[in-house]
Amino acid sequence: MRDITLGQYYPADSFTHKLDPRVKLVLVIAFIVMVFLVKNLIAYAAVILCVVLGTLISRIPISKVLKSIKTIIFLVLFTAVLNLLFYKGDTVLWSWWRISVSLEGILFSIKMALRLILLVMGTTLLTYTTTPTGLTDGMESLMYPLKLIKVPTHDIAVIMSIALRFIPILSEEVDKIMMAQKARGASFDTGGIVKRAKALLPVLIPLFVSAFRRADELALALDARCYNATPNRTRYQIMKPTYRDLIAVAGTAAFIVLVVALNMNFWGAYVPSESLWWLFS
Amino acid sequence: MRIKVEDLSYVYSPKTPFEKVALDGVSFTVKEGDTVGIIGSTGSGKSTLCQHFNALIRVTHGKIYVGDVDISSKKTDLTALRKQVGMLFQFPEYQLFDDTVAKDVQFGPLNFGFDREEAARLAAEAIKMVGMDYDEVKDKSPFELSGGEKRRAAIAGVIASKPSVLVLDEPTAGLDPIGKREILELVKELKKSFCKTVIMISHNMDEIAANCNRVIVLHDGKLLYDTTPEELFADPEAVARTDLGYPHSVHIKRLLEAKGVKLDTAALDADSLLEALKRRYCV
Repeated sequence: MRDITLGQYYPADSFTHKLDPRVKLVLVIAFIVMVFLVKNLIAYAAVILCVVLGTLISRIPISKVLKSIKTIIFLVLFTAVLNLLFYKGDTVLWSWWRISVSLEGILFSIKMALRLILLVMGTTLLTYTTTPTGLTDGMESLMYPLKLIKVPTHDIAVIMSIALRFIPILSEEVDKIMMAQKARGASFDTGGIVKRAKALLPVLIPLFVSAFRRADELALALDARCYNATPNRTRYQIMKPTYRDLIAVAGTAAFIVLVVALNMNFWGAYVPSESLWWLFS
Repeated sequence: MRIKVEDLSYVYSPKTPFEKVALDGVSFTVKEGDTVGIIGSTGSGKSTLCQHFNALIRVTHGKIYVGDVDISSKKTDLTALRKQVGMLFQFPEYQLFDDTVAKDVQFGPLNFGFDREEAARLAAEAIKMVGMDYDEVKDKSPFELSGGEKRRAAIAGVIASKPSVLVLDEPTAGLDPIGKREILELVKELKKSFCKTVIMISHNMDEIAANCNRVIVLHDGKLLYDTTPEELFADPEAVARTDLGYPHSVHIKRLLEAKGVKLDTAALDADSLLEALKRRYCV
């Protein structure tokens, strides 16, 4: 239960942790775009290098980042198999009915799998190195243009941060209630699906009751302190880009340039040997 | 039912930045008939320790025997163990879930393998034992009850299956004085019938002094004292070390002693203090 992967901040004292959340958000978006731009395996190598460097700089154990892939491994394998069997390539190696495996298909499914894995690894770096509050503050700030057309960005940000804040509280509550019902002989890991679903009722009902109670109490506490989303609220933590952010932006920009260059295959003429064509296609 | 704890240690989230040692080499024995108070400041490991007694937290290092059963073994029959060792959590009223009080109280007995009739009988008995009118509350929703009644209904849900050991985690927290007294009276009643052994966590030294025959003091996950309330509260150094404070009656006795009034009592509750004063002044 403790392994809920939302709001999975991993505390450490690193370059990435100290970056401005807004900058990190923008860089992650740039990273996503970059991953979608990539065409050949050489360029993928550059992106992998980028993720590995990012992980090292963030001082997050590689095992932690790899763990984030576990949740999407099924999706990755599923798409890889589909791509492998249905991609229409020229160099057919094996075929049956409408299914065919081609050399191009193999390359394509490897690239798609890499793309998904790199996407998840890159974005989890953001959630590992940024506190939930940092994330919502950053988003609010980035939503500034929407504010000009009267979108209540501050309210949205507050709702998001309260929701995020409640995840660990509720998961703790689930732990407690489950323990209490286990102490009364309840069992959550035996029996078929129907029995297991039924066994969750004694957990879900108290959980909802307490969630509503907490929400009420929070609303009262906000009211009691005269909270309202006035336009000129001051902040406890003010985000300020520093030289670090400049370095991070420059680094990412360099990677994007590198990837684009590799993509356009400036080396095309210099393919070291014909047998390495697959690296550059 | 004797409970024996040997060199018990427990670490939360091991090998992560959130790693926390909750228990560190704790050993003691609870004899049948004991009422043991477990005290210590917040975060000293009291709740972690108590959740081991019915294997809600599995033993990772050390050994615990409940009766003759080694519950550190993977093969322990958890249902049988939990039937024997009842556990009342902090603010147990938040565990109520069923649509009627009677059904909620039957939840435990039914899980422990009693048939419907037997469970209904046990529930009725338990509800009466906690001092509620069975016919009046049995068809009510537990969410309609008042705070104190909810607490009692939740306690009924735990004692309905007649555990022979009861573990209470701050049973009186958040109750008014009358509610507190009623809960402690109930514990005394239980000790006279099926539940001979009681372990309770409390921050209220008055309760500990008046109800427990033994105290175990935890500090940063280590066992600091395993003694009687008389000895613990007679030792200013021990009390200072655990920053727990004295029961009110002991505090008054100490103030009197500072003024030169010597009393022949440990003054663990108001009555014994009063008796000692009477012996001294009203011959």
